[in-house]
Formats: sequence, structure tokens, C-alpha cells
Amino acid sequence: MNAAIRVEHLAHRYGRRFIYQDLSFAVPEGKVVALLGKNGVGKTTLIRLLMGFLRPSAGQCRVLGEPSHALSPATRARIGLLFEGHLAYDFMSIAQIERFYRPFYRRWRRELYYDLVDRLGLSHDHKIGNMSCGQRSQVVLGLIFAQDPDLMILDDYSMGLDAGYRRLFLDYLRRFLDEGGKTVFVTSHVVQDMEALVDEVIFLQRGGAVKQLPLVEFRRQFRCFGFRVDGNAPPQADGLIENVDLHGRAPCLYTFAEPAQLAAHLETHWPQVRLGDEQPLTLEDAFIGLTGKY
Amino acid sequence: MMLFAIFLKEWLKVRWVWLGLSVLHLGMLLYLYLVLRHQFRVEHSEMIWYWAFELRRLLYEPIQSLPLISGVLIAAAQFGPEMIGGRFRLSLHLPLRGDLLVWSWVAFGALMGAVLALLDALALYWIVGQWFPHEAAVSAVRTALPWLLGGWIGYFGATLALLEPAASRRLIYLGLSAAFLALLFQHRGYQEYDQVLPMLIAIALLFIPAVILPAHRYRHRS
Repeated sequence: MNAAIRVEHLAHRYGRRFIYQDLSFAVPEGKVVALLGKNGVGKTTLIRLLMGFLRPSAGQCRVLGEPSHALSPATRARIGLLFEGHLAYDFMSIAQIERFYRPFYRRWRRELYYDLVDRLGLSHDHKIGNMSCGQRSQVVLGLIFAQDPDLMILDDYSMGLDAGYRRLFLDYLRRFLDEGGKTVFVTSHVVQDMEALVDEVIFLQRGGAVKQLPLVEFRRQFRCFGFRVDGNAPPQADGLIENVDLHGRAPCLYTFAEPAQLAAHLETHWPQVRLGDEQPLTLEDAFIGLTGKY
Repeated sequence: MMLFAIFLKEWLKVRWVWLGLSVLHLGMLLYLYLVLRHQFRVEHSEMIWYWAFELRRLLYEPIQSLPLISGVLIAAAQFGPEMIGGRFRLSLHLPLRGDLLVWSWVAFGALMGAVLALLDALALYWIVGQWFPHEAAVSAVRTALPWLLGGWIGYFGATLALLEPAASRRLIYLGLSAAFLALLFQHRGYQEYDQVLPMLIAIALLFIPAVILPAHRYRHRS
């Protein structure tokens, strides 16, 4: 497998606090991969490492075959970065920012930028600083498209966008990806958006534990069951049981196991538990089920 | 073309500040002209000669701090917007060597400052030359050279402080720049820096390689 991003035995720490100690995963070329995790697990740090703005404490991150903290200009030209909050040069206008970026990229596709930006109905001398967050997201996405990158790293594209602009962002992104040959590594707090976009998901958990699998596999294998307990000793996560949620109206447990395998496991290890029906799950439910509410 | 794009961005950032500074410089030079003309109208020229060359009173002090103010403001206009919200990261991701990028920026900023410095020097020569002999006009420009160098120090000191991610180093850069500036504003007469100025200029040129350091640290914070 050719990997656009390869992270091997990565460790990073702030002072004495390790964010990860031995993190490894790969983003295959041509795939859309989402990095999901709760606040504070180190998503932003990982994105900064991949973007080359942090140097790993140990291990390595390779992006398009080069160490992420020492990317050559030629490789940087093949990477489209979306910074958190749709960072852009606010003091430039729609036309000025296109004119600024154009000479840096040999494969620049001006028509893609204006195709996207002209839909805003704004004049080309409209200042980016005077745009709404949604409008600015269109400009930034248009610039990334025009760059025609092989790899896109999109850090929390949904930040500050209402539902309409979020949908628009994803519609244009999907249409662009239909051309083929692009790899996308994306983070977002809006988990349900990932359903129609990504091929694989990487769940990053506190301490650097990571679980990577194709989205369809996750949706097919990850299950939620209601249960009740005889007595007051509820089951706990134990390897086969991924998580137990006692905060909701009805308690439920989450597992990758088949129902029969789970039933046998409960009978042996948690005999006081009476397994209920399997519950339908949205992707967001499944994400919370896997990573927990706290 | 890339260089043109970089200069376009820098111009968009500094243009209003630079135009404002140009108006300020022209205004101060006009003020200097009017003050000198007024003095020659109300005083005997022998008296003014006595003030200037016997008492060593500088007749053009009003423009002393202009280059320094200009240097600091140009740096703030250039690098302030890059630092707000971490926009510097956008530039550092451009497919261009980071050191060349930063040097292009400071080359543009220094060029903008140099235009104002040239304006000051030419205007000072012309204004002093209106009432004094050629030698006095040349002397005025040579006396003003440390002030123009102060603009360079102000520009690079502010640039280093703005680009530097670590607060402690920022203070060190500001301290060093302030000390250098203090050296440049010690005189009480004419052309007192003639002997030492080449050495001060040589030291001031070290700011050019130095600006790479904070940019490098910004990129590779760990």
C-alpha cells in the first residue's frame, strides 16, 4: 500500500505531559480518511505535526514520502492545507488572493477558484476580511482546489459554518474528489458529516490509542445493545465490551462482537447482565459509543 | 513572478501606513523648511551661524526620530497581520524556501524605509542648502545618517520581536535593539559619528541573517 501519510511510533509531549507515546497509522493514497477524537486527545497537535509546524519528540511523520517537519518546496506544492478557522489573508480581496497564490503553483487551476467563488455573488474586489465565515470558507476551499493538490489536509473545516455552508463545503469537496487521485485527511467535530465523505476513520483516544478501519466496516461491526442489571454491578469495558453508557435514559453497551459472542461473554464474565435489543446507531452515536461521553 | 506576488502582498499590507508616513515625512520636512526660513527672517544670519557652528545646536532636530518611527511602523504593518491568528503559517506553507521568503519580506520593508530615508536625506540637503553653503548641507546629511540607521534598527528590531514565538527571546531582541538605538542618539553636535558609523553599519547588517532565526523557530516549535 502506498501511503500519502505514514506515522510511525510517533511520540509528542508538551513539557512532561505526553500526548502520544507510540502512535502509528497510515493514510493510503487516493482515500479520504477522517481523524476523529474527543477534545484534548491531540488532533490539533497531530495536524500541526503533519503540517510541519511541530517537530515530533520521537518517531516520525512522513508526508508524501518526506519528513513532515522538513518538506521540500516541491512537496509542499502538492499539499493543500486548510487551517482551522479557514485562515486566509483578510487584507486581500477575492481577486488579489488568487493573483497572489497563482505564481506559486505550476498546476494552478484558476477556473476552479472562480467557479466556486463566483457563486457567492460578490464582486472580485470584495475584501476577505469583510466576508462571513461561510463565505470565507468558499474562498479558502477554492484556493485549495485551484492548487490541484495530491493531498489535502483539512483541519476542522466545519468550524464556524452553519449547516448550509457545511453542506455546500462537502458538496464541492466531493465533486472535486470525483476527479480521482486525491487523498484527503480531515478532522471535524461534526461527525455525521463524515458518513457521506470518508472511506476510512481513525479514532484517536486519550493517551494515543488509535483504531483505524474502513467506515463501512465500523458501521457494520460496531453495535449497541440495551441491557439491564440484576443487582447494582453494571458491566464495564473489558476488551470485548468497548464501552458502557450509564448516563442515558436506558443503559447500553457497545461492542464490535457478534451478538452470540457477546451473549456468551456476558454469561461468563457478567452473569448479572440481561442483554436487551440491538439499538440503531447513527455515526455520531457510534463515535460517542466508542470514545465515551466524558 | 513569485517575487512579484510576495511584493504584491507586502504592498497590500503596508501601503496605507507607508502613504501615511510619506505624508508625515513631507509634513515634517515642510515644517523644518518653514522654521529655518522663519529664523533667517527674524534673526541675523551671523547669529544663526553662531548657534549652529559655535554652540553646535542642531537646526534640524525635528526630523531626528522620523526614521525610527517609520521603521517600527513599517515592521508592524508587515508582520502584525502575519502574526494575528497565526497567518504566518499560510506563508510558511508556500512552496518556497522559508529563508528566501523572509528575506524577500524584509527586502521589501527595507526598500520602503529606504525610499523615505532617501526623501529625508535629499530634502535635508536641499533645505539646508537654501541658506547655508554646500559643505553645511553635506554635513547635515552626514549628521543625520545615524538617525537613518536608527530607522533600520527600529525596523529589524520590531521585525525580530514580531516574528519570534518565545516571549523571553522577544524581550532580548527588543533590549538589544533599544541598546543599539541608544548608541545612535548620543550626539550633541555635527558629524560626531563619522568615524564609527561604518562599524555601526556593519553591525546593523547582521540583522539580515538574524531574521531567519525567529522564522525558523516559529516553523519548528516543539
